[in-house]
Amino acid sequence: MTERLQFYEEWREAIIQCSRCGFCRAVCPIFDVSKRALANARGKMILLKEAMEGELPVTDGVAQALMRCTTCMNCTVSCPSGVEPDKVIKAARREMVTIGYDNLFKAMGEVVEKYGNIYGEEQRHEWRHKQGKAPYVLFMGCVGAYREEESVAETIRLLDLLGVDFTTIDEVCCSGVLEDVGYKVKEALAQHNVREIRKTGAETLIATCPYCYRVFIEHPSYKDLGLEVKHITQFLAEVPLQVKTEKRVTYHDPCDLGRHSGIYEEPREIIRKIAPTFVEPERTRENAMCCGSGGGFRGTFPRDSLKIARNRLDRIIEETGAEILLTECPSCLHNFRNAKLRRQKIGIYNITEFIAQLYQEGASVGKQAAEG
Amino acid sequence: MKELIEIVGEENFTDTLEELVPYSYDASVNVQRPNSVVWPESTEQVSQIVAFANEQKIPVVPRGAGTSLSGGVIAINGGIIIDLSRMNRILEISIEDRYALVQAGVVCDDLNGKLAKYGFTFPPDPASSSVATIGGNVGSNAGGIKGAKYGTTRDYVMGLQVVLPTGEVMNTGSRTMKCVSGYDLTKLFVGSEGTLGVITEVTLKINPIPRHAMTAVAAYGRLEDAGKAISQTMSSGITPSVMEILDKITLKSIKENTDIDLPDAEIMILTETDGYTREEVEAQMEVVLRILKENNPSLIKTAQDEKERVELWNARKSAYATLARISTSFVLDDVTVPISRIRELLVGIQEIAQRHGLVVATYGHAGDGNLHPQILYDAYDAEQVEKMERVEGDLFRLAISLKGTLTGEHGIGLSKADYMTLEHDPVEMDLMQRIKRTLDPNNIMNPGKMSL
Ligand SMILES: Cc1cc2nc3c(=O)[nH]c(=O)nc-3n(C[C@H](O)[C@H](O)[C@H](O)COP(=O)(O)OP(=O)(O)OC[C@H]3O[C@@H](n4cnc5c(N)ncnc54)[C@H](O)[C@@H]3O)c2cc1C
Ligand code: SF4
Ligand code: SF4
Repeated sequence: MTERLQFYEEWREAIIQCSRCGFCRAVCPIFDVSKRALANARGKMILLKEAMEGELPVTDGVAQALMRCTTCMNCTVSCPSGVEPDKVIKAARREMVTIGYDNLFKAMGEVVEKYGNIYGEEQRHEWRHKQGKAPYVLFMGCVGAYREEESVAETIRLLDLLGVDFTTIDEVCCSGVLEDVGYKVKEALAQHNVREIRKTGAETLIATCPYCYRVFIEHPSYKDLGLEVKHITQFLAEVPLQVKTEKRVTYHDPCDLGRHSGIYEEPREIIRKIAPTFVEPERTRENAMCCGSGGGFRGTFPRDSLKIARNRLDRIIEETGAEILLTECPSCLHNFRNAKLRRQKIGIYNITEFIAQLYQEGASVGKQAAEG
Repeated sequence: MKELIEIVGEENFTDTLEELVPYSYDASVNVQRPNSVVWPESTEQVSQIVAFANEQKIPVVPRGAGTSLSGGVIAINGGIIIDLSRMNRILEISIEDRYALVQAGVVCDDLNGKLAKYGFTFPPDPASSSVATIGGNVGSNAGGIKGAKYGTTRDYVMGLQVVLPTGEVMNTGSRTMKCVSGYDLTKLFVGSEGTLGVITEVTLKINPIPRHAMTAVAAYGRLEDAGKAISQTMSSGITPSVMEILDKITLKSIKENTDIDLPDAEIMILTETDGYTREEVEAQMEVVLRILKENNPSLIKTAQDEKERVELWNARKSAYATLARISTSFVLDDVTVPISRIRELLVGIQEIAQRHGLVVATYGHAGDGNLHPQILYDAYDAEQVEKMERVEGDLFRLAISLKGTLTGEHGIGLSKADYMTLEHDPVEMDLMQRIKRTLDPNNIMNPGKMSL
């Protein structure tokens, strides 16, 4: 007898609710670069339907297919039948792990437990920023802290320039990503973060990474944080800024910030303050195309992830003619920077990083003027 | 299948089970596993694949986005699925000569996005246009909301490049607005549901986009009144660009499941006039409104601005999604009748629904008599499946008895294959068989569709 997936009623219903209209073909970042039916939500809902009915044997192939999703929610917001494929796929991944189909994130979980970060790095960048007590505490997240250090350094510099009294902690991975790929948040890591954050006595936690932000807000392991959690764009939207750029600027909504957290306005408020020529890409806000890095996709399929980023970047450049692409997510930033070809002249920054540089340029221009 | 790999390359071929599973389905209830899938990137490759299949007598099924509602892309005898999604280049847009030349895998909305920059459009607008391919549009002769005024895909196809079942490549039609040179082989392929060949390129006539539109809705307590209003409008000398209806069951479902505000009515009409000047559009709407008013509406609303226009469209646009959400499964049909018989069709549909104890919600394009009864049921309940099949059978018989057709735009595919003889006499069926055999002696090209 074939092994069947034993979904809870809730997921069973969601799977058979898919009417196979195929409308998700229009929006899925993975489908867009591969054109293979299995890539989009319809393909995976059909796969799960058959696995559930016992028509399709549950194999490693099925487990692999289920990893082909960035959990970006592009399909969810455009599905006429109200299926939430990103949630179904996450549930299916958990189910697969439960019945013994581990994926490469099992090893990552062990790495995270041992080193406190997803990369197994032993050395952490020295930010030379104060630790201890302050009204604000900044959380950087693994991707920023270990792969986009310079960007994070600029974010820190900006907060200092703006006179924000903040502290950093001896942070470890929030480990939320494990929940997307079939595993669980590492309780010890979560408790370490909660403890360290509480020690600061801060009233507000500022997260630079939208994924960490979501985990702090949504995950029960972080329910005892006992302070307000803000994404850095929410914080910055309320701060007056003294710099401007004449450059043509556009913005990419990170999936975790936009569709997953509903934060669309704040980044735009900030950008409008500093960039009078702000242009939106064609696919933006709820419909913004994913950069290809989420849901464990970059880890599992690095080449395809890069292809997706390249695809999104090409379109943004074509549609907007922008000189500067802003976002506020270390993962999107990292993927786009990796995807950028040398001939593409666009500058890619986190909003905070870009503003810090504008301050810097302003200072050097001011200095030159004073000297001249 | 090493021959196929040699033609398209390893990365454009699959026969792994997980990948074949999604290709066993479309948007209908039909299911069958193909043996392999290929994603050709050129006409040359398609030609080689088909020649190979013909030699080996392996069935091939051309597939676009797979949004067929009739099982048109189901490999009922197994075989090779030719997915044209990677042949998605717009080859030429000529505004001067008013045509666009595209590969078959171009998505309808992608073409219209490009054309819009020039103020032009390919007018048939199937509700699936965000994903449906031009090849699929041609294969199923797709139509849409504006069919009464702007026709269907057939009216826009000027020429085709087709890979015939033998693998030969044929170019039909011309780049001219008029052409009576030889048999019209182009039109033979429009709506042929992939049974005669694989379309690889399409030359489409394009239209300028009308600059203005005006929208109105009217609700009626009696079907007779609405029926008269529709017939009188359509014969008034004015052709509205939109003449849609939503029946009572559809209105009730939308009302109960969304926050859209709707009147209690037997039927609601949504209509639009369009044109190149404001005056022209208003003058047309004046006539339409007069007729709507003369037939005892319980409510009439016109949109004063874009925001109100969007609101009036809201109910129509959410019909499909609402019904899709409230039912586990559904079948979406597209029976079409002469405009004067719409009332009888609507009454008949409800009689059938009650007789078999299923909910059937109907909406659609009253302006061309093409309605969409959406039969709600549970595919996991054998009794309901049987009922659904009986409802469909009765529905088709009703449409034919009203001098209508089984399908106005979704095609026969597998779902309606058994009913072909209801509509077509033996002489016509025989000629179709002979055409099919002449072009496809080994019956490899999408076999089983249209009962061929
Ligand atoms: C929610 C929903 C709404 C819809 N609304 C409409 C509507 O308003 N109007 C309408 O007309 N249809 C509608 N459809 C049906 C369907 O979307 C259309 O028929 C569409 O044109 C199919 O395009 P496709 O690319 O998905 O073709 P597919 O489904 O892949 O194929 C359709 C048929 O064409 C053949 N075919 C495809 N490509 C080729 C090719 N290159 N050469 C030869 N044959 C080919 C196939 O073999 C098949 O028989 C709807 C479907 C859904 C799911
Ligand atoms: S859009 Fe929704 S219902 Fe349609 S195929 Fe995709 S998941 Fe299924
Ligand atoms: S969540 Fe994103 S990647 Fe996953 S199936 Fe939906 S659109 Fe594709």
